[in-house]
Amino acid sequence: MDNTSYIALSKQTALVREMAMVANNIANVNTPAYKGEDSLFTQYLVKVQTEDRILTDSLAFTRDLGTMRNMDEGRFQSTGNTLDMAIHGKGYFVVETPDGPQYTRKGHFRLDQDGQLVTNEGRPVLTTDNQPLFFAPNEAKIDISRDGSVSTENGPVGKLRLVQFDNEQDMKKVAHGLFKTDQLPQDVPKPDIQQGMLEGSNVEPVVEITKMIAIHRSYDSVTKMIEEENQRQRKAITALTRITS
Amino acid sequence: MRSLNIAATGMVAQQTNVEVISNNIANMNTTAYNRRRAEFNDLLYQNLKRGGAASSDTGTIVPVGIQLGLGVKTAAVYRITEQGSLVNTNNTFDVAVQGKGYFQILMPSGEISYTRDGSFQINADGLVVTHEGFQVQPGITIPNDAVDVTINSSGEVLVKLDGQVTSSNVGQLQLATFANEAGLESVGNNLFLETPASGAPLQSNPGQPGYGTLLQGFLETSNVNVVAEITDLISAQRAYEMNSKVIKTSDEMMSSANNMK
Repeated sequence: MDNTSYIALSKQTALVREMAMVANNIANVNTPAYKGEDSLFTQYLVKVQTEDRILTDSLAFTRDLGTMRNMDEGRFQSTGNTLDMAIHGKGYFVVETPDGPQYTRKGHFRLDQDGQLVTNEGRPVLTTDNQPLFFAPNEAKIDISRDGSVSTENGPVGKLRLVQFDNEQDMKKVAHGLFKTDQLPQDVPKPDIQQGMLEGSNVEPVVEITKMIAIHRSYDSVTKMIEEENQRQRKAITALTRITS
Repeated sequence: MRSLNIAATGMVAQQTNVEVISNNIANMNTTAYNRRRAEFNDLLYQNLKRGGAASSDTGTIVPVGIQLGLGVKTAAVYRITEQGSLVNTNNTFDVAVQGKGYFQILMPSGEISYTRDGSFQINADGLVVTHEGFQVQPGITIPNDAVDVTINSSGEVLVKLDGQVTSSNVGQLQLATFANEAGLESVGNNLFLETPASGAPLQSNPGQPGYGTLLQGFLETSNVNVVAEITDLISAQRAYEMNSKVIKTSDEMMSSANNMK
């Protein structure tokens, strides 16, 4: 078997995927509450079949094991919009979707034609009673306190629910900043919501560009390795054919 | 290569961002202009390896899967309906709304449009109209011999006629509010139209609970914050550059694959 080329290929495949991840991070550098992702690599060991090797007894292929999500908080941006909320510390808003509850840290909400608090895609945001939140059309001043209590000039309306999970890495991204998970949500003991702010993306452009350069260079060097291996084989074949002929 | 398409979505999104910002800056002196903000969403994710898949016969599972994102898209461009500051114009028919509410304007098509730009004029018939000559609803006629016109905070239009001591009431300006102001459709000339997303208008006199009050001789300025726009512009430009860098790198990676001997 031509192991050298296959090992190099395994690395290259993994690099292409990692590049896609970096590209996605950079594309989402201005997406509110976007969490950057990184791939995890591991070696995949294969026993060598022949006995006449001195150095090592197994070959290490590269394998991308999974995605590691950076759960750091993004920078807060002030938007001045009453219905923009940023969560400081742990927690997710609960959003009702046709596929059951989903969770988001992107607190960019709006009202729909019924005065219901919804996400940008029109999905209702739930309160601590698991109910959507409604505002009367003549309620002009909406105040959201740090613990998530919502009130207007007519008095309190409800309290936004913030939940947390044991294993945040196990949550799956769904698009539109939403996450889904089968884990049981637990209420955040001390919610901290900032009104009029949005959590920015936590992607560090410098880090991503550096990663991209590194990926590019390793890709090139692996390509080089495949080329050299190819040449070595060609030379060997030429040499062998010369001897036999 | 996915990264090429992903970076392309990033460039398109940043381009939209720059367009929105430039429109804000262009309208920084437009009466009652509400600044817009482009909102981005991550696109769908592709599951290459599902987290939770079995990794051995003994029932161990993969703790985290591989999810590849497919880029970004513009989710919405929304208006930020923050009150702009008020500027004194000393013009009789300049009226600013302090708080919630829109003036109603009768369009030539018969439709009602809504605006917060209260720089009104008088037409040949003495009717209160906008710059374009569209009538303010409910229609108010100012008599020819009026020497002084007062619009009070609750929208009553009082005129003092030549030779009279007391002012007489010639009409009432009304405001309309919506359940979801952000859902109104902009049609240019500072005018908005009702949409299914905005909900039906609710009319009332200014100063009623939930409605703003009027201020004669003032206009609402745009709520564009130039410093914030310029910083946003810089960050959008850099993000655009970074995405183009990704395209370049992906291209070079592909070219090195193609040039393998």
